[in-house]
Amino acid sequence: MTSPSDLPEAAVRRLRDGAFSSGLSVSDFAACLELGLEPVGLVQGFCAMQQGTYSMGGLSRSLSPFGGTPGGYVQNYQCPHGMVAGEHRMWGQNYQQTWVENAWVEGFTSSYSRMLEEATQLGAHGVVGVVDTVSRLTDANVTEFHLWGTAVKVLDTPAPTSAPWSTYLAGQRLAKVFEAGYVPVSIVAAVSSIRVWAYCVTEYLMEGMGLWSNSTAPTEIEQIVSAMSHVRSTVRTSARDQLHGDALHGADLQLGEREFEKGDLEVEAVLRGNRIRRYKDFDPLPVPTPTVRLS
Amino acid sequence: MTHAPHPTNAPDVKAEVRRAVASLAIKALDAGSTTSDLSIDEELNLHSIGWEPVQLVSGFSVFSTPAGLWNWGQGEIVAAGEAHEQAFKHAIKRIHSEAAMAGGHGVVGVHVERRVYSTHVEISLLGTAIRPVGAKEVDASTVFVTDLSARDFTMLMVAGWQPLGLATGASFVYAPRRTVGTVLQQQSQNVELKNFTEAMYSARETAMERMQSDALALKGSGVVEVKLIEGPMSFAAHAVGFAVWGTVVRLAKDSHQLVRPTMVVSLNDVVETFDPSALA
Repeated sequence: MTSPSDLPEAAVRRLRDGAFSSGLSVSDFAACLELGLEPVGLVQGFCAMQQGTYSMGGLSRSLSPFGGTPGGYVQNYQCPHGMVAGEHRMWGQNYQQTWVENAWVEGFTSSYSRMLEEATQLGAHGVVGVVDTVSRLTDANVTEFHLWGTAVKVLDTPAPTSAPWSTYLAGQRLAKVFEAGYVPVSIVAAVSSIRVWAYCVTEYLMEGMGLWSNSTAPTEIEQIVSAMSHVRSTVRTSARDQLHGDALHGADLQLGEREFEKGDLEVEAVLRGNRIRRYKDFDPLPVPTPTVRLS
Repeated sequence: MTHAPHPTNAPDVKAEVRRAVASLAIKALDAGSTTSDLSIDEELNLHSIGWEPVQLVSGFSVFSTPAGLWNWGQGEIVAAGEAHEQAFKHAIKRIHSEAAMAGGHGVVGVHVERRVYSTHVEISLLGTAIRPVGAKEVDASTVFVTDLSARDFTMLMVAGWQPLGLATGASFVYAPRRTVGTVLQQQSQNVELKNFTEAMYSARETAMERMQSDALALKGSGVVEVKLIEGPMSFAAHAVGFAVWGTVVRLAKDSHQLVRPTMVVSLNDVVETFDPSALA
């Protein structure tokens, strides 16, 4: 959804006339004016995404492992016991759920571009104080993405000719970013999702070493470590790919984990932050002076 | 009443913002796509002592413990302590090597997430790799990992000290069972349960000793910002655990540099009658 005509008619009418609205607190509003940024409207974007099921949940363990998604991370594990039994997990696999990631990215990007579209409609140069929520709707596979922020115009500058910039920051924190010699480019969000199908060794180690272990010394659970390390590095790489040479600042990494059975996990990482660009060299700063407040 | 004029050298913030926003039209120079979870204040703190963020780095490890480990027994639950130690060490090793590969000379603001289950121990570390501004070469043997914030790191360096790494220690101990006779005898009394007190002291001593030996191995002279978690295990109430970790430091200069704070008196009213943020 990129053309302004996609906006609901009522929204276009509301954005065109009347008073401005803003999601800023009074102090952030004051700081905004101090920076020469004039709030012009509270802009929002929604997207409810249904994630296509891949029917992986029904895959029997007696079948060969799933081959993974082209380009995604895949790692296979083979039972070392040489045992064939229905309940014995002969194979294990970690794989990147690229279809889950794609659904997330599509939902986030759509609601983000809808928010920017409203800002463009208002003739804004940027959107500050962005807040985003990602929540599950009643259906298990439906996720709602909601982004909102305050569209601002930079006073005494020509009308914008490109898409508005955006940032999660507002108020004093945004002022410090400018003063430090940075300019906000956009918010950045990336996701990584990895499914772990535990093989026998992982299952036993997660349950506490016992029957099939030759050692009573603590042992590292390699399959889980690999998945957890990959989910972190993949999400970072994906965020870095969106930077194009700029910096990601104030990053926030959220990790989620669902366990279906012992060692059978789905791990997810979401990384958000502000893409910022240096527009001038750092002014030399004196070493900070520590203070003690007498009250 | 006359007003003092505004200082003439105060930056014109509005003009700075206009200049900054106008620069977006120009193609960006590739500054290396750095990533960091530091706030702008923390970044400015680092900058004031000549350091800069490089990359968000992490380290993870999970170690399995033998089945039945937490059943009744006596003394220390050695395998649980070992699993905790190994998981911490492996996670530190991984965050250390990620930092070195990214060109970091150290990692600051490390968040430590620690989970102890009956069957395994999990440690997850996340922090930002930093380096002296523009530094290229990295000597992997000197890369430090610290859970000090960028602000505390700045103050430490200003005071002439340097962080060397994380030191950890943990111990899990069974609280010995009381005899049936003792239980009956003590049932209606206010009495100290010495089995629990002694178990806690035993776990404390072992854990602190382990942390200290980590600090000595890093050639440190002390450990600052020690975090401490202690108490009965949620899944085994008859066992107590004690875990500590902190940043190993030593003097980098000949002597401690006295950082004398300036005293300030706020002229704000002591009683705040109106808080504008309450309207948010």
